[in-house]
Parts: sequence; structure tokens; C-alpha cells
Amino acid sequence: MSLLGPLGVTLVVFVGALVVVLILWWLGDRSPRTLTAPERAPFAGGLPPAVHAWSRYHARYYVMALVFLAFDMEMVYMYPWAVVFVREGVVAMVEMAMFITILLIGVLYTWRERALEWA
Amino acid sequence: MRQFLARIAAGAPVPVFAIAGAGAREQVQDLRLNPGVRLVDSPREANVLLVAGAMPESLAEPLQRIHDAMSHPRCTVVAASPEGRDLHAWLPDATAVALHEPIAGGLVDVHRGILRGDRPSEPALLPDVEPAPWRGVGPFGQGGTGMTGGTPYGRPMADLLDDRDGLRLDILPLTVGPFFPRFPSGLILQATLAGDVVVESAIEANPFTDLDFEMVTPSPTLGPFLRALSAPVPIAELELARARSHLRWLADALVSQGLHALGVRVLALAARVRPGDGEEVRKLERLLRGTQVFRWSLGGVGPIAAERLIAIAAGPVARASGIAEDARADDPAYRELGFTPVTQRAGDAAARWRQRLAEAEQALDLAGRAGPRQTEVRGQVEGPRGLLLAEGAPTGRLYELVPELLAGLEWGDAIATIVSLDLDLEEAALAAQLTAGVPVA
Amino acid sequence: MRTYASPEFALLAVGFTMVVGIYVVAMLDHVVGGRVAARPLLWREIVAGPARSAALLIVQRRMTTERTDTPGWMLAPALFAALAATALALVPLGPDLVVADPETGFVVFSAAIAFVMIAVFLHGWSPNSALPLHGAYRYAAQALSFQIPFLLAMLATALPAESLSIVEIVAAQESAWNVVRQPLGLPIYLVVGLAVSFWGPLNLPDGADLAGGTSAEDSGIARLLWQAARAAMLVAIAAMGAAGFLGGWWGPWLSGIVWMLLKTVALLVLLIAAGHLLARVRIERFVVVAWVLLIPLALVNIFVSGAFLL
Repeated sequence: MSLLGPLGVTLVVFVGALVVVLILWWLGDRSPRTLTAPERAPFAGGLPPAVHAWSRYHARYYVMALVFLAFDMEMVYMYPWAVVFVREGVVAMVEMAMFITILLIGVLYTWRERALEWA
Repeated sequence: MRQFLARIAAGAPVPVFAIAGAGAREQVQDLRLNPGVRLVDSPREANVLLVAGAMPESLAEPLQRIHDAMSHPRCTVVAASPEGRDLHAWLPDATAVALHEPIAGGLVDVHRGILRGDRPSEPALLPDVEPAPWRGVGPFGQGGTGMTGGTPYGRPMADLLDDRDGLRLDILPLTVGPFFPRFPSGLILQATLAGDVVVESAIEANPFTDLDFEMVTPSPTLGPFLRALSAPVPIAELELARARSHLRWLADALVSQGLHALGVRVLALAARVRPGDGEEVRKLERLLRGTQVFRWSLGGVGPIAAERLIAIAAGPVARASGIAEDARADDPAYRELGFTPVTQRAGDAAARWRQRLAEAEQALDLAGRAGPRQTEVRGQVEGPRGLLLAEGAPTGRLYELVPELLAGLEWGDAIATIVSLDLDLEEAALAAQLTAGVPVA
Repeated sequence: MRTYASPEFALLAVGFTMVVGIYVVAMLDHVVGGRVAARPLLWREIVAGPARSAALLIVQRRMTTERTDTPGWMLAPALFAALAATALALVPLGPDLVVADPETGFVVFSAAIAFVMIAVFLHGWSPNSALPLHGAYRYAAQALSFQIPFLLAMLATALPAESLSIVEIVAAQESAWNVVRQPLGLPIYLVVGLAVSFWGPLNLPDGADLAGGTSAEDSGIARLLWQAARAAMLVAIAAMGAAGFLGGWWGPWLSGIVWMLLKTVALLVLLIAAGHLLARVRIERFVVVAWVLLIPLALVNIFVSGAFLL
């Protein structure tokens, strides 16, 4: 057990909580009755739905998602940068500032092209 | 174990899905003030279905569908005047409670009874029929005939639509039914959504027009306005009713913007406000400004251009877009009090909220100063939603605006816009039925 | 050697903290809601209220809809609760009092926050119903927008510590709390905290305009577990905020644990009060504000505080 290390313990907590909640769900869900078809109709104010909800949903924020990918990759670089920042000094700050500025110009472009507002 | 849990659960606020029919809107709203009752947004969360007031027959099946959607252990409470026999025919297992007494006690009693096991949970009312028959041959219901391009699993799949951003994806037709918690009872909105943007929409005809209103007592905030169509009514009473109507609308609107606790606070204010209490409404407006509801939630949402509202006489909606029409300006008694219509300029949902707050404050000031004066004009009266004539109510006139108003709006904005219009289908149907008996001055 | 507890103790400690935290959130919500509604409150109602509501939901039967994705519906609250548990496991109560202190604790915390989007999407997708589906997709937009401001705001706290371990981030606040050295960090973190647990003004996936949104078809035990997971995530956010920005266990006179609890409760009260007193934000507006306002502010926060460190 002492081989787990802190990350191992975190994983145990994650899996443990997952299993506990699933067990609680199962315990609280025991009832023999089956439901009629109208009891299972999705709620939309009282009228039956016309189509299945599962569909090729038009997610209008897909451009913003692409910009998010770019920034996520930047965050990957910022994690180690934060650790060595004080040690490396002004050079580190200037280099990261240049990197960030390029990405911020991308965000500015996205904003001006109105890809952040989708309605 | 279940008994033990049921005993503890009996002390929790009763989750009620409340449906207000004709003549019962205020009693249902006032249930929010009672800590033993919790009004919920979805029948799945509810154990008790409350149907108060009178319902037309066309709403019987939606009522039964809502009843069937409720979670077990479930029960129904019907609070209608003695003439409301129809409701008992549509909801046979329901418990009857008198309408003009506090309903909350009855709800708590019925709920406790069903938790204790005094009676079984109510069975489903609608027949157990799948929406569309289907045939499959595989173990998961796949294959066979009638599946590809047909109606898989009982309902059709969504269809494609080209859109302005170049993607060709599915559209979802969504008919938000008569008992959607944010809408007034009976409002049916047929919307076509591409993503979460409303592409087109339509409002179905008012179901309450089929209802015979002879047996229905109009609610206390609507009553004075209907009486003022044919007889003099003290201005203090009329303006107090107007302020109360606006505050009650505001309580529901606050709930739709996520401010449940503030909604309860405003509802309590609506009950206790007296003529001359304009200061309370001013304090309320300052509080609301602090919640940023006029900036984040409603700023720029659902603007209506003034040209569209010119001949509609839609009361606060028109005045919020800058049209200074108000039937009270034609009344000499109001002119004596120095009445001038209040207007806003922006015409968006925030302006409509501000307009109703300003009108509530003005109404309370007028009521405080009115003294024994009475209205002097017959045949028309400026109701809280607009010009009430013997021939019609403002809600019907606003229907035509809704499709163009909602086109291109995101769903949350669409709901905020409809809420800000303050539609009232009961009032519209009632005004239509008064045509016969009102003498024109 | 980094600190960590044994697995059994870890599960017990996190489980206990979650249950207590959920109960405290429910009580605070009731109290704050009652004060804003100007409604008189009874002590018995406050203390027993959450237990009674939980009992009611356990007794209530879980209803399902047609052709659902039941495994997804089951996994959604389980995943959400597991992520909240993971986040809570990383929060230190004292220099040696932590369930797990990996060297990259901050990265694990960010990963836990990022996966919440999956849980909420599953929750909205599974019932095969239109209103929950809209809530799910709305949350996806919300989640993509708050991720970067969240990471940037918390990254600034790692600069003085020269480490990504949460214990060291707190230890570096011995001289001054981060809220003093990096004043922009905590407000951004709190806004994002409201967005992660979709509370109050940012309750867009479960909003009132969607009649409960992703929770519209929930009933019984499913509803109870989902609401509990949300409350647990709120507790995790408040606890990590207290650790990262308010100085964690540092403070005069009282012991470290008491300070941590006080600071966590203070942030919880702030978040819950925001839930009752701030109006709902439109999704479009939130997306624009997150990208155009919060990210630049967070970057300013990083670079200015970094400049002071050099």
C-alpha cells in the first residue's frame, strides 16, 4: 500500500467515490413497478414531443472551441513555466509574454469576427 | 426502513407542481410564501399535482400527461369552485379542496397521507400506448422493416436545416406546452430550434376561449378593471390593483431569472403594499439594480421597435418602447391628479421591467393621493397589461408580434422576452366573453 | 517524501468531509435564501431541513423517460461526485494534514475541474429529452469558456511557491496571503467557481428557463445524488480558494484547521449569497466576458505579480 504515492491515493479516492455513488444509486432505485408509455414521455409542459431529442445538435460555439484548443496547448506550457519562473528571471517573463501576446491577438480577432457571439 | 424515512420526509416542504386555471392565479402564486410547500419546475420532481381554478376541455389531456409524469408516490389535489366538475372527471383520484381557503394545508395533509401509506400512489391516467408502433428483429430492437427512415423507437428523428453559419445540422421542433412553469397557463409555443437558437415560432390559439366564464370569479387584481368597464370604480382601488398586478408579475419574472428568494420577497410586498407606498417600490428598484438584472440578464434582450407597437395599445410594453399612449390620460379624474404616462426608450426586456416598476410606483402614489375620486370613463380602461376594451384584451394583440420577436433569439433570451411581455390568456378570454354584456358609453 | 494518507483513511476522510460539506451548503442555502426572501426561519427547519429533503428524495421513486442512456444517467452524478472528491482530497488542512499532496497537485485539480463538463453533458444527454439536451450543450460552451481564466487565475498562485504542489502554494503564503499580493486572482477564481458548479447567476445548464435543464427529468435518488454532487463541488471550490488565495492554514491565535474551516465557510457564504442576489447571466454574455475580459485580467494578474517577484 505504501507504493501508491500521493497520485495513487488520489486515484483511489476518485474510483472509490465513483463506486460509492453508483452503489447509492442502485440502492435507491429498487422498485418493482414498470412505467407506462405516457409516464415515460419527456416533459415539455404537457404536450408529447414530436421527435427524439438525440440529434445532430447545432453547437454554434464550435469556433470558440477551436480557440480553446489553442489556449489549452498554451496552458500546457505555462504549467512548467510557473515552476521555474522565479529561478529564470526576466527572460522567462519576456518569452512567455511574447507567446501570450500572439495568442491574445488570436482572441482579439475572434472577438472582432463575432465568433464569440453565436445567436 | 422505508417507514422511518417516510416519517422524516413528512417534515420536508411538499414538492408541488401547481397549475393555475382561470380565477386561481393568485392563490397559486401565494403558495410560494408558504414554507411548507415548494413549487417545482418539473412534474418529475413533484409528488403532488395541484390544479386550481377552471380548465377548458382542450387542456384535459395535457393535464393528464403532467399527472402521469409525476414521480411515485403521487397524488392530485383539485382546488376548484363547486361547479368545476370537469376536473374531477379528468383526474378521478384527486382530492378536492375549496378554492377560496388556504390551499397549502390541504396539500401538506394529502402529501403526509400518501407518505404514511393511507392510500396508494395514483395510477397512470393515459392509456399505455407507445407513440408509434415499431417492429424490430434484433436483440436491441434493431433491424426489421419500418426502422430506416421511419420512426425508430416510437418517434421520428430530427430533420436537417441549412443555417446562416454554413453548417447543415438538425433542427429540433419543440412545443413548449400549456403548463410550462415560466409561461402563463395555457400558453403553447411551437418553436423550431437550430441548436439553442429559435429559428421560427408560433403561439397556438388561446385554449381559455372555450371556457365558460360565468362560473369563474375574476381574481382580485383583475376584478376592479373589469368592473371599471361599466361602472365607476374608486381610483385608489384601481391603482392599488394595478400595482399589485405588476408586483405579482415581477415575482414570477424574478424566478425566471434565477432569483427565487427575491421573487418570494416581492410577492410578500405585493400582498402588503398599501396606497402611498411608492417608497417601497423605489427601494425594490434599487435592490434590483444591484442584482444587475437590467445589465447582465435583460440588457438588449428582445427589443421591439416603436413602429410595431403603435396601434396595439399594449400598455407597459408599448410605453417601454417610447409610445406615450395611456387610456388614463383621457380620464378627467386622472388629469386632476396630474397624471402623465411614464415611458422608457430602449424597448428591450430591461426597459419593460423598469416600466412596470415605474408604473407600480406611480400607481401607488396616485392611489395615495386619489382620495374619494372615481373613474369617469366607461367602455375602456387601462388595465395592467394595456387597454382593456369591451372588444378585446392586450394579450391577443401581442400574439402577432411574438414570432418575429423570437426569431434568431437564443432560448434563454426567448423565455426572458416572453416573460417580459406579461401575457395573460385568462384575461384575454374573459374580455372576449364580456363583449355581450357590456353597455358602451 | 510527499505527504499522503493511507487509502482507507483517505476514503473515510474525504467521504466525511463531503457529507458534512454538503449538509453545510444546504443549511447555508436555506438560511441565506430565507434572509433574502425576508421569511422567518426556525432553527429546527434549518438543522433538519436537508435531512428531511434528502429523505423525501430517497422515498420518491426514480422515474425514467423513453429510450434513455441509463448507464450515462447513472455515471453523471457518480463522475461529478468523484471529481469533487478528488478536488477535496488535494486541499490541505495543515502542513502535514492532507489526504494527498502530489508534486503536481494543481494539475490534478485542474483536470478534475475540466472533467465536470463530461459529467454535466452526460447528465443532459442521457434522458433523451429536449430541455436537458439544451442544458448540456449550453454547459459545454460555459465550460470551454471558464477553463482558461480558471487555470490562469490559479497559476498565479504557483509563481511565488515555485511549485505546483498545493501544500507548497499554501506554505508560500506565510508572509502575505495571495489575495493581498494578487488581488485580481480571487474575484476571477470566484466567478469561475460559480461557473464550474453552475451555481446562482451561472446556473445555465439547470436553469429556470429550461424548467430545470439537465435535471428536468431527474427524480428520486438520481436527483438527490446530482444535487449533492453539485454541493460537494461547491465545497471543493471554496476549500481550494481558501487554500490558494486566503492563506490556507496561516493565521494568528487559532490553529490551522480552524482557520481553514473558517475561510472555507466564508467563501461558501459568499458563493451562496451570490447565488441568491445576482441575476442569471446570459450564455452569450458569459462567453464573451470570459474570453475578452477575464483572460486578459488573469494574464495581467500573472505578469504584474510575477514582476514583483523578480
